[in-house]
Amino acid sequence: MVLIRTKVSPMTIKKDDKKVFERELEDYRDQVWGCARCNWCQNQWGWSVKSAEFSEICPAFHEYRFFPYSGMGKMHIARAILEGDFDYEDAPELAEFIYTCTTCGACEMNCQRLQDKEPLKVNEALRARLVRDGIGPMPAHQTLIKSVKHYDNPWMQPRSQRDKWAKKIILKDVSKEKAETLFFVGCTTALDSTMTGVARNTARLLLAAGVDLGTLGKDEICCGSPIARVGDRETFIALAKRNADILNKTGARKIVTSCPGCYRALLHDYPEVPGAAPIEADILHTVEYLDLLISHGRLILANEIPMRVTWHDPCHLGRHCGIYDAPRNILKAIPGIEFIEKERNRDQSWCCGGGGGARTAFPEFAAKTAEKLIHEAKTTTGADAIVTCCPFCEINIGDILRRSGDSMKLFNLVDLVAQAAGVNEK
Amino acid sequence: MADEAKKKVPHKKLPKQIYQALEYVVGKRWISEKRSLVETYSKLSIEGMTYVRKHMRDAAALPACVVLPNSTEEVQGVVRVCNRFGVPFIPFTNGQVFCGTTNAEPTVIIHMSRMNRIINIDADTMVATLESYVDYAQLQAEAMKLGLWNGGTPLATSLCKLSSQFAFAGLWQTDLKYGLLNRNIISVKMVLPDGEILETGTRCLPGAGDFWEYGPGPDLMGLQRGGAGSNGIVTEISVKLHPWVGGTELPEVPAGRPSLADVHDPAYDSPLPPDNHRLYWIEFKDLETEIKTMREISHSGIAIGLNATGVYSAYYCSQTQEMTWERCKNKFFPDYNCYVIIAGITSARQIEYEEKVLKIIVERNGGTFLSEEYKPEVLEALKPWNLDCIRHTSGFRMNRKMYASAWLPVGPFEVGKKTQQFWNDALNAFGQCDITDRGGADDTPFIYALQRGRFSFAETDNYPDPTNPQEITKAAGFGIYGMARLVKEKVCPCLMAFLNVEPLVTMFPEVGPNQHLLFQKIRKVFDPKSVNAPGRQVWTEEEWKNTPPQLKGMVNAMRQMVGLDKVE
Repeated sequence: MVLIRTKVSPMTIKKDDKKVFERELEDYRDQVWGCARCNWCQNQWGWSVKSAEFSEICPAFHEYRFFPYSGMGKMHIARAILEGDFDYEDAPELAEFIYTCTTCGACEMNCQRLQDKEPLKVNEALRARLVRDGIGPMPAHQTLIKSVKHYDNPWMQPRSQRDKWAKKIILKDVSKEKAETLFFVGCTTALDSTMTGVARNTARLLLAAGVDLGTLGKDEICCGSPIARVGDRETFIALAKRNADILNKTGARKIVTSCPGCYRALLHDYPEVPGAAPIEADILHTVEYLDLLISHGRLILANEIPMRVTWHDPCHLGRHCGIYDAPRNILKAIPGIEFIEKERNRDQSWCCGGGGGARTAFPEFAAKTAEKLIHEAKTTTGADAIVTCCPFCEINIGDILRRSGDSMKLFNLVDLVAQAAGVNEK
Repeated sequence: MADEAKKKVPHKKLPKQIYQALEYVVGKRWISEKRSLVETYSKLSIEGMTYVRKHMRDAAALPACVVLPNSTEEVQGVVRVCNRFGVPFIPFTNGQVFCGTTNAEPTVIIHMSRMNRIINIDADTMVATLESYVDYAQLQAEAMKLGLWNGGTPLATSLCKLSSQFAFAGLWQTDLKYGLLNRNIISVKMVLPDGEILETGTRCLPGAGDFWEYGPGPDLMGLQRGGAGSNGIVTEISVKLHPWVGGTELPEVPAGRPSLADVHDPAYDSPLPPDNHRLYWIEFKDLETEIKTMREISHSGIAIGLNATGVYSAYYCSQTQEMTWERCKNKFFPDYNCYVIIAGITSARQIEYEEKVLKIIVERNGGTFLSEEYKPEVLEALKPWNLDCIRHTSGFRMNRKMYASAWLPVGPFEVGKKTQQFWNDALNAFGQCDITDRGGADDTPFIYALQRGRFSFAETDNYPDPTNPQEITKAAGFGIYGMARLVKEKVCPCLMAFLNVEPLVTMFPEVGPNQHLLFQKIRKVFDPKSVNAPGRQVWTEEEWKNTPPQLKGMVNAMRQMVGLDKVE
């Protein structure tokens, strides 16, 4: 089975020679002066607007309505900081504005399309600046960073817990024997008790399809994505280098991950880390691999699941990495599933609110953003369930559904595929 | 953090008592004077001088605070507080064009971002009533579900708010049939600068309905419209709708949607036109032929839109700045061209008929249609217009550097020739900021055919480097030179932006003549405390006295350069 898709790093579009993780705020000076206030960082791409209610796209601006919460606002703040117009002591609120962003990338999507500018990267450079100067990240993020430093995962779990999810599954340990495909589970999928079923179902599906599969077991470490997003570059760069070496040593030809955050980090962030070894394996998200396995007849979805569903595009998988079709293909291949698009989808999908450290530091904002997603799913699709494949989205949306007692269901796509293929956890 | 050599830009706040009074009106959550927040309301777009002020570290460019009212009554409350304490205020939507700049006084920004509701769409009278923050795309999306649309969107994109465009003109790609926004406004609800509320048209009698722009007595809306917003804040606007036959939503681009990994792929920028709409591209050998053909097409009564695009196609249809430059350099797009939008409003046969008429006119004038046989690669590259001509989205590609000044003379079609000549003179006098500034000099200006060809707009613009204050100042000089030249040559420049904003109102007394004196009287009536949007449309005598002599000197230099007398 050959992958024919060509992946282009979004970072490679940039003209200068510096890698993203070595760029300082100063490297964006032209861009921040050139922000034209077109405001498309806040709204859906014009051709895609289908209603007034769902025409906006920046979760933070939608909630707070003041410009600093938007991509444009961050550009203007960055300009002022670069020029020394104000200082941290003048603006104790600064970190709040900079971190009330889910890094969904909608601003960058539209701004790149119109102006060749990068408001999200500017905001991440701002975060890195705040961390450097001791102003960032938000206090709530410190726990996460400390945990990664001490335990190699952001959830304060001992390393010994990392492979607990796989107790009843026989998988190769790639430190002892070679496997063609490495399952990079990701911290949340491996350690969050609500997500470990997804890890098991992923493994079962891949094994059922005859994939030569292994894991790093307890030796898997955090990809660093949450750390990169909150601006701690030093920790992230160290993690990326370590991980690149670990992954290359396995000799795996493919790396499959369940988490869009890990996927984006491995695929797009690591090549932008100065001094990190290039990862030699093909990097795939689970849904891409499952789509290939299904289309090649290596997985048969025979069990009917009678349900009307809609798909939520995780930002780091869809907008950031361009994986739009694979999950839709899979949903359409499951017997009994009726698939209906939400009004905002693909590149213009509404973020769940769970990413970029927003849920950790601003849980109420993250919750409201998820509520808006659920509302859109209900009113524009009439679906019984939202399906997604990102642990952060699943936890954030799931919390709201549980809290509100909503009848809308939520599934990880892997679990549905496992059910349809008859390999799911009983 | 700050560079040692640079002094911080101090932020002047309101006295606590005034801030608290405003807070009482909008609630604590919806007012802020935080330093980094006010920063984001202090550098406007397409307003070169606000960039220069930023380079000069002008503290007066920072507003004192920003308030977000949620209703006409809250706007009224804010305005009344400002009147009581003599505090200037500036209404604000996107901050793209001439929101008005703050002056030396601590100023309140009234950002309308919470007033974003479509109040009503009446399919029977074909009228939509909107709050101030509703944009064209939102209105179109809702109207299209009912088989209606508003008739067009500006090249400043469908994200423009109709209430903001009320302050100027609202220029669309489909002005040929539908006219500008100003021909499509039924009524407005405004908070006047002293806090009174004005409702115009038939809605002035509560319960009478909102369907006709004329109420009893003088046309009060006419007095307000085009005044650069100097006479009040629009909180509701009602506009005409027209039949729409293009489907309930715009078609998806066949290639699908981009991601950040492939966002610049032209395939994602290549939509088909909406159902029952067609776009035709025609190339001409020179400007004369282009203008003659445009006039004939306009007068024939066919089509809903007709415009010559010139260098604008190089921006709008190029996915990167590099591609824009390359295409300008290589003359990828025809120098003299126009596009025609035909809609089958009554039936498919309408398209057949109008296409026939179009072909006869084009053939008669020696124009050539771009087609699969003739320059297919150019036709392919022009595809963004297939949807942009209905709902414009890619307009800000022209701002990738900076869009500092624009000429928008209006007149019979020949105004395009005069614009080309004057723009060439300006380029010779000042030099270009960017290769794209040559657009309109070496090729056609953007020419909009208006109101069945009764007249047209001819646009040219320039694009300095936003990090370079000298270049921005030069570009601003272009704008002032243009105004002086147009006044000297008796070409009407007034419908759009520049002559509605000081110092160009007071410093061009030829217009009116002395219209600034009348505007001053009007301002005294509506804005007795001189608190609304200082510097917009007209200055009071005192504000005029406080105008920096350098600014007056710059305008006078341009006046003298074109042969007009100095203004004292």
